[in-house]
Amino acid sequence: MALNVGYVGRETWHNLGRNPTLTIASIITVAIALTLAGVARLVSEGTDDLADKFRGDVELIIFLEPEITEEQRRAIETSLDDNPEVREWTFVGQQEAYEEAQELFKDQPVILDLLEPEDVPTSFRVEPTNPDADSVLALRNIYGQEAGVASVESATEAIRAIQELTRQLNFGVFFASAISAGVAVLLIYNAIRTAMFARRREIEVMKLVGATNWFIRVPFILEGMVQALLGGLLTIGLLLGLNRVLFQSLADNRYFELFENFDFTNATVISKSLVLVAVGAAIGALGSGFAVGRFLDV
Amino acid sequence: MIKLENVTKVYKGDVVALKDGSFEIGKGEFVFLVGPSGSGKSTLLRLLNHEEGPQAGRIYVAGKDIGELSSWKIPYLRRNIGSVYQDYKLLPNKTVYENVAFALEVIGRPRHVVKTQVPAILELVGLAKKRKNYPDELSGGEQQRVSIARAFVNRPLILLADEPTGNLDPATSVGIMRLLDRINRTGTTVVMATHDRSIVDTMRRRVIELDRGTIIRDQARGVYE
Repeated sequence: MALNVGYVGRETWHNLGRNPTLTIASIITVAIALTLAGVARLVSEGTDDLADKFRGDVELIIFLEPEITEEQRRAIETSLDDNPEVREWTFVGQQEAYEEAQELFKDQPVILDLLEPEDVPTSFRVEPTNPDADSVLALRNIYGQEAGVASVESATEAIRAIQELTRQLNFGVFFASAISAGVAVLLIYNAIRTAMFARRREIEVMKLVGATNWFIRVPFILEGMVQALLGGLLTIGLLLGLNRVLFQSLADNRYFELFENFDFTNATVISKSLVLVAVGAAIGALGSGFAVGRFLDV
Repeated sequence: MIKLENVTKVYKGDVVALKDGSFEIGKGEFVFLVGPSGSGKSTLLRLLNHEEGPQAGRIYVAGKDIGELSSWKIPYLRRNIGSVYQDYKLLPNKTVYENVAFALEVIGRPRHVVKTQVPAILELVGLAKKRKNYPDELSGGEQQRVSIARAFVNRPLILLADEPTGNLDPATSVGIMRLLDRINRTGTTVVMATHDRSIVDTMRRRVIELDRGTIIRDQARGVYE
């Protein structure tokens, strides 16, 4: 059952050119699906480290009421010393706090004018032993109750919010890419069916003359896979472009420290994309596989 | 070579195309299938090619019960059977050469085989000079010759012809019949369904006559009626 490679190659190449509009539509749809999936991967990768990064910086700030007594303060200090969940703590006094505030608001002269040293609260800066959200929450609950404490702040809410947000973002993008992958399969299915219809005379003669089923099928399956692979290549280009236009600028943005890790090198983007190209090939094989399977029977 | 045992074929709507037909055709024979339209001639040919399956009975080709063939073997059966039709079934955007070469390419024959066999067969059917023409540039008779060339290029054991001269004038038909006769003399079994009275009467070969699905006559050196 010698499969003449040259013949199959020539036929596939010829077939691709028969219906260029449909072919291009398939290629673009595959590219969209894969690009969405690629964006999802990159976003999830960029935000993965994010949580870790913030975890390392977790700090509890116990803001003290201005009327706090010496006794109450010392009580808190002792408690902090004795608490195994507290790794380290420091006290930020009035002057220090005032200087910090001046630094924080240096771009906003209106506030600076109004600010007096007495307005800025003193605080304990606490570094927890375990930076995870639950431990930090426990600490907050303990010290929130203490006399003399105005409030306890931590970044955990923010982290939780970010984590939740990125999770939903990932899910959303992934969901969208799954759907568009499905659409791509359908489109390739249709493209191949159209190709098969256009070649029905050839197929009839092939069956008559004794060509095996696979000999008839393979060029169509190849056609579907080539379309999908071309879509994959387009995806690589799109992702590289997106990286340059969107992600890099997010990473460089001073205000959004969040996206610091979105600084992907071209190499990273390309290596992530190779998996996508493989998925593309699978989409092509699926779409065309269904098309030939249903309609080519001896 | 070909043997039918009590073969019955019924189409949807209870149309009985063939009823309990039996006969045997030996290697190298030339057999005409005659009968009015709808008598079952084409059905018979389609059964031999395994394009259809019978409701009852057995069909043997070259000693094998083709009803028992697994579906992946069917292409190999067809490689031993050449088929020629009234509408030629040529591919319009391929040249004469390419149409015939197609039959060899799709069964995986290597290029050098194609390069030797195709010119030889075109010579045999008398179309060597037209190898670069397209079907729409040929007369009916020439197109049928291409069809025959394609059917015969693989040297099959059997040639099935379904009204090959149906669209041709009497003079051209004679030419086609001479070709089929030549092919038959190389040892190929030929089974031909036809309406063409004069051909049957001239050639005096075995005649199997069908009437509404039943074989009513099986005569060596027969005439049309």
